[in-house]
Amino acid sequence: LLARKFTDKHEWISVENGIGTVGISNFAQEALGDVVYCSLPEIGTKLSKHDEFGALESVKAASELYSPLSGEVTEINAALADNPGLVNKSCYQDGWLIKMTVENPAELDELMNEDAYEKYIKSIEE
Amino acid sequence: MVLQSLLKNCLQLSCTLRTPKAGFRSTTSGGLIIQSTSNDVYQNLAVEDWILDHMNLENRQVLFLWRNSPAVVIGRHQNPWQECNLRLLRQKNIKLARRRSGGGTVYHDLGNINLTFFTTRKKYERMENLKLVVKALKALRPQLDVHVTDRYDILLDRQYKISGTAAKLGRTTAYHHCTLLCNADKFVLSSVLKSPYKGLKSNATPSVPASVKNLFEEDPSLTCEMLLDAIAEEYATQHQIDHHITLINPADETVLPGINNKTKELQTWEWVYGKTPKFSVSTCFNMVYKDSFLDVKVDMDIKHGRIEVCNIDLPEQWLPPALCSELVKSLTGSKFCPNETTTLVTTLLRVCPQDNELHSRWNLLCENMIMLM
Repeated sequence: LLARKFTDKHEWISVENGIGTVGISNFAQEALGDVVYCSLPEIGTKLSKHDEFGALESVKAASELYSPLSGEVTEINAALADNPGLVNKSCYQDGWLIKMTVENPAELDELMNEDAYEKYIKSIEE
Repeated sequence: MVLQSLLKNCLQLSCTLRTPKAGFRSTTSGGLIIQSTSNDVYQNLAVEDWILDHMNLENRQVLFLWRNSPAVVIGRHQNPWQECNLRLLRQKNIKLARRRSGGGTVYHDLGNINLTFFTTRKKYERMENLKLVVKALKALRPQLDVHVTDRYDILLDRQYKISGTAAKLGRTTAYHHCTLLCNADKFVLSSVLKSPYKGLKSNATPSVPASVKNLFEEDPSLTCEMLLDAIAEEYATQHQIDHHITLINPADETVLPGINNKTKELQTWEWVYGKTPKFSVSTCFNMVYKDSFLDVKVDMDIKHGRIEVCNIDLPEQWLPPALCSELVKSLTGSKFCPNETTTLVTTLLRVCPQDNELHSRWNLLCENMIMLM
């Protein structure tokens, strides 16, 4: 299990056996507020890095989700249909959004590790 | 005060405004007030997308003023069948639009004004914006009892909703838009926002119905123009900019390159209806045929606006079973749409024998099926 990597749009991905699990960070879920709806892609959807793959609607706003890597969607978190709040309650575990293949492992190197991400958040919060 | 923008070239919306010298100390100075010359809901929604994607709002914020000819606007993740009377919309030629922000369903006409506040994601602040609107209203008419609720509604007389809010967060920018009822047609509003469709089950975001009132009812001297002007004035004051409103034409590709594609996308069936979260319809209707009463039970699953699963429970032998199964087969995969279904059922009927009895039964069933859409 590779350590979690982060994008500057506050998505995270963690890869195991060639499959990446994607979610949003704690910073993101806090900023978003209570999630009321998760709009996720179909299984089989092919995504390029930075592609918009869905949206989260919270009491605050609708916010798009951007793919951290290129790959194909293999699974979506069905629990979110009835319980979108999982994204807030457990953003790194039960509130995962999608799983996808990793087409180009080199893209992972472009993402931030946890320390770098923490520093990044601090810098934008100023 | 509105000045006609005669020089198209002076409006390069994608350029960053030079921060005025006095603005270094102020974090909110630097701003732009724009007003749409169009009353087309799709064009105006496209402008919002365009600004979100193309403008750099680090050094300035934008206020966009717009009004639409009659339209129902649903939130990003809503179900139009659940939210409004689609049949009535079609009859009255009222447009249906799905916006990209969240929130609930609203009715727009020229008696309603729309305000969009654009900022960076960081500076996104709905309460501040709504307080600005309230301040503007009170400056215009001090006796108005208007306040902002914690749901980000603006209430008149503590009772009536005159404004609803929704928002969208983009990569680096954000917008918060709201409505403001000046002199909208409340009769049409309440009739179109009432859904006649029964048996719908969906996890789409629901609207929260509210009693509404027009500001015009409180003070008949108020007009939309006055409200727009007062709000622009307050925005200009708070952002330390001139009270100058720049007109923009949402069809102008030279000022807004790529805008027409955005407008087109918002009008597609795939966006308006196809983005509806998966839902099911489980209902029954009665048909009166000659001297008999018939109960028909219909169950359908609709995904991306198309019928994924369809089940029609009819009294046995009322119609030839082969024809019924053809109907179900044809409906499966087709759009949950009266026009598409009409075409479909007319085509199917053509391959049937010229039997008046059969035709009238078929038409009765299909009419009722279409009523569900």
